[in-house]
Amino acid sequence: MPPLLQLQGVRKSFGGLRVIDGLNLHVDEGEIVSLIGPNGAGKTTVFNLVTGIYAADDGEIAFAGRSTAGLPPHKITRLGIARTFQTLRLFLNMTVKENVMAAAYGHTKATVVESMLRLPRARREEREIARMAEEKLGFFGQRLVGYRWDQPAYSLSYANRRRLEIARAMGSNPRLLLLDEPAAGMNPAETHEMTELIGRLRTDGGYTILVIEHDMHVVEGISDRVVALDHGVKIAEGSFEQVATNELVVEAYLGLKAAEAG
Amino acid sequence: MDAGGTIPEPPAAPDERERPRVGVDEWVARVEERRETHRGLAGVAHRVLRFVPPPARLALFVAVAATLPLWMGRGDLFAYGIFTLLYVLLGLGLNVVVGYAGLLDLGHIAFFGFGAYLYALLSSEQYGIHWPATATVPLVVAATALLGLLLGIPSRRLLGDYLAIVTLFFGQAFVFFVNAANPTVAGKGLTGGPNGIADIDPLSFFGYELASRRQQFYFLLLAVALILTGLHFLSESRTGRAWRALREDPLAAEAMSIPVNRLKLLAFAFGAAIAGFTGCIFASVLTAVTAGNFGIPLLITIYAIVILGGVGSLTGVVIGAVVINMSFQFLAPENPQDNARLLFYSLIILLLVLTIRPLWKLAAVFGGVVVLGAVVERLVEALAPSWTGGVVVEGGRLAGAVGHWVIIPTGHGRFANVAYVSLVAAVLLLTRLHGNARIVALVPTIYLAAVVWETSFVEQPAVARWILFGALLVSLMTVRPQGLLGTPRVEIV
Amino acid sequence: MELPLAFDAQLFIQLTVNGVTLGSLYALIALGYSLVYGILKLLNFAHGDVYMVGAFIGYGVLTALGGPLSLDIALVPLIVLMFLAAMLGSGALGVLIERFAYRPLRDAPRLAPLISALGVSFFLQNSALLLLGAGFRSYDSFLLGSKQPELFVPGPLVDPVFVIHGVNVQTIQVVVVSVTVGLMVALTLFVARTQLGKAMRATAFDREAAAMMGIDVDRVIASTFFIGSVLAGAAGVMFGLLFSQVFHLMGFLAGLKGFTAAVVGGIGSIPGAMLGGLLVGLAESYAAGYVGGRWSDLFVFGILILVLLVRPSGLLGARAINKV
Repeated sequence: MPPLLQLQGVRKSFGGLRVIDGLNLHVDEGEIVSLIGPNGAGKTTVFNLVTGIYAADDGEIAFAGRSTAGLPPHKITRLGIARTFQTLRLFLNMTVKENVMAAAYGHTKATVVESMLRLPRARREEREIARMAEEKLGFFGQRLVGYRWDQPAYSLSYANRRRLEIARAMGSNPRLLLLDEPAAGMNPAETHEMTELIGRLRTDGGYTILVIEHDMHVVEGISDRVVALDHGVKIAEGSFEQVATNELVVEAYLGLKAAEAG
Repeated sequence: MDAGGTIPEPPAAPDERERPRVGVDEWVARVEERRETHRGLAGVAHRVLRFVPPPARLALFVAVAATLPLWMGRGDLFAYGIFTLLYVLLGLGLNVVVGYAGLLDLGHIAFFGFGAYLYALLSSEQYGIHWPATATVPLVVAATALLGLLLGIPSRRLLGDYLAIVTLFFGQAFVFFVNAANPTVAGKGLTGGPNGIADIDPLSFFGYELASRRQQFYFLLLAVALILTGLHFLSESRTGRAWRALREDPLAAEAMSIPVNRLKLLAFAFGAAIAGFTGCIFASVLTAVTAGNFGIPLLITIYAIVILGGVGSLTGVVIGAVVINMSFQFLAPENPQDNARLLFYSLIILLLVLTIRPLWKLAAVFGGVVVLGAVVERLVEALAPSWTGGVVVEGGRLAGAVGHWVIIPTGHGRFANVAYVSLVAAVLLLTRLHGNARIVALVPTIYLAAVVWETSFVEQPAVARWILFGALLVSLMTVRPQGLLGTPRVEIV
Repeated sequence: MELPLAFDAQLFIQLTVNGVTLGSLYALIALGYSLVYGILKLLNFAHGDVYMVGAFIGYGVLTALGGPLSLDIALVPLIVLMFLAAMLGSGALGVLIERFAYRPLRDAPRLAPLISALGVSFFLQNSALLLLGAGFRSYDSFLLGSKQPELFVPGPLVDPVFVIHGVNVQTIQVVVVSVTVGLMVALTLFVARTQLGKAMRATAFDREAAAMMGIDVDRVIASTFFIGSVLAGAAGVMFGLLFSQVFHLMGFLAGLKGFTAAVVGGIGSIPGAMLGGLLVGLAESYAAGYVGGRWSDLFVFGILILVLLVRPSGLLGARAINKV
């Protein structure tokens, strides 16, 4: 079976700066893969390339065997890829539930006329979307349910906002979830919860997950496989233990001396 | 992909193990903020509105409006009833583009004008074409929607402010085209130049002509009710959500499977269609159109309506249109000046009552103003009679009282101008003072305002109207940028 | 040297001269728009009316010193005085507007300052109407400073300085273009070399960061408005000297075209404003000369739309790079 997501020989430059250079990356269905590397290594750029926000200069990106070249982001999402943003881009003035419901646009069909006349098909679909949103939000325990559904997103605490961002991504019914630093800015308790959550996303939710993370505890706790990037190039791949002790990885994070010492 | 199957029991409060802690639970922390935004008149309005669900609001509005023809004369019905509904429609059209999709369209009035002119061309003596409304209205709506689409296509690449610029110019180009260019088609100037097109047929459906004001009013009311309902349903649907998401963050929306470009085009086309429809009705009701109807002042009025009511809110648009049109008509130059005078003084009194808290301070200000006026007037009369020789414009009971209170000179042409400039300076200064200093400064400022009113505004009511409107816009925005009925938005800068 | 084509060189040169002169005006107005937009991302719709006020202040000085036909002082000091008064007056007005109509809206949603700007525009236009009436006021530039105005002997302003191919280039036209060039050079040096200029550029780039680096953002923004409005005031007097008539609505059309110039050149860019102004001035001049006055304004707008479609950020505008 071909991998769910496959990047081959992908290159991307901005002006004179080569951000991604000949990258080969794959994620099989049902896997949880972590993407690590120092800041500026190009990790978020990989996400942007996969989701169609940038177009690759060279190389191929394929999802479930199908090339995504030239497709606009909303079409790529409909194929089954959803993402969260490193800097959180929620629809702040919409309610929690509406945030998730909004993401359902791609797999719903009610037309403008049907909506304006409130035809039975449109009403039925609305109920389904609402139920789907409640389900996805229920994934996070008690934190985003009940009266929270109708609160505006800007009233949520930071950790809840991160959770909502993931719930929203789930709202588009993806097969592959791209999580960009899901545990950033969280305290140890929240981080632990996030680690569990990512595991549950795979087992209960059935998602395939590609995660960018800096917190090595999280990476250790969730990954089937770890890929390390530095300056747009893959420098290591394998299990967490293999990658964590790899000389190039240590050098990238801590410098040459640490690699030699260590 | 199923996630979890059953939905956990909704808790009575978040994180039941612990009580919400201020500073930790942001919703709790924002209680004060919510209380603030709900104080005062706007707060009362908010709370009332929340209790009355949209269908009830619509029913109430229609019921009240339907009684208008029963007690209003034809002239009043036209000015107050029909024009208000036209403003409502225009506001609704703009609301779709600006309020729902968040697109800054400064040329929206051009769609209105296009619809009006196209209808005029098809139903008037201009080229002798007299199609019935059953043919023209759908055609005009479709054509205007297409125009909206065409304007939308190139603007997809443009970010917010550039969109504003291009649409602004489009609007101006339309006015210039219609007014100055006026190309000759089939032997005549297409758009009639500055004179426009006259003798436009009233709407006629299947032979039934809407000739009387009453008929026109009821037709408009029906149209407004239907459009409001449709827009409300649309707003609550996936399209409405997608528009709101697009308004919040186009990039994130696109990443969440929303086809942003297509929705922008849809918003443009939709808003244009409504404006075009309104144009038809406008042309048929006024029976004449000129370029002057479609300029910047109208654009700003419609924006004011949308903003006053809180961008994106249908109820807000209706209320905004009612308030603004009612005020405009009340202050129209044709109406007796006593109306305007009454409104002016009442507004000042209202403002004072609403903003000055302890009752004794309020009384002090009132008393101070009255006394100051009387004293100054007597003094000036004694010292230099020519300075109070002027007559109050247009009689009436109020005018008589005012005449003995305000200084109105004769033959001192510069006085009015100096008074006006001093008033502007005084008002600006007022905003910089606080507490008791402000209360004290209020007294001479109010007297000065009355003087300015009686010496210049009352002589040039049309100009005064726009000055006050401009001042109102600035004050409203600086004090309450979200509009009277809007909720404060969090913006990603 | 004879031109081989049956091409009216004289008309072309005349139109070009007019276009360059007009373009200088638009460039000055455009600079005001560009500077303010660069620093606040605000489309200052009231800018055209500041220009109008400048023109009227110039007129006021002219009248106070005896009026165009019976001057109390010599022509050159008069003109200098007119410029200075208008520039300072407009500058002060600009600062005032910023302080009261825009500063409270620094962090408000985008629509609010725009509406506020439009409100200010209405207010200024109609205040001028209220105070001075709808009639045109005339600088009488043709006769200004003339030795024998009763005999309609033209004043020195319209004297030709030099002649190209039979086309007179008038003193006033040379004055306008040279003053504009001078102001622009001064502005460019100012922004590039001085402390305040650097502060302006920093604030335009990232206001919060600039504030955290110790820059007094309020003062910088006020200075930006001051400079932009000073230039507009100068442009107002220039208009009066070139075309004589000043009236309360003059700000609207000139503002619109100055705005077009700023956008065409790339809003936020100083050289862009200059280039844009020149282009718009020339376009309007050629259109009026070759196509006909009715269509000239439309022509100018058409150019704007075309440029924006091809280069959405204007000719010299900076491409916004957003890190996602």
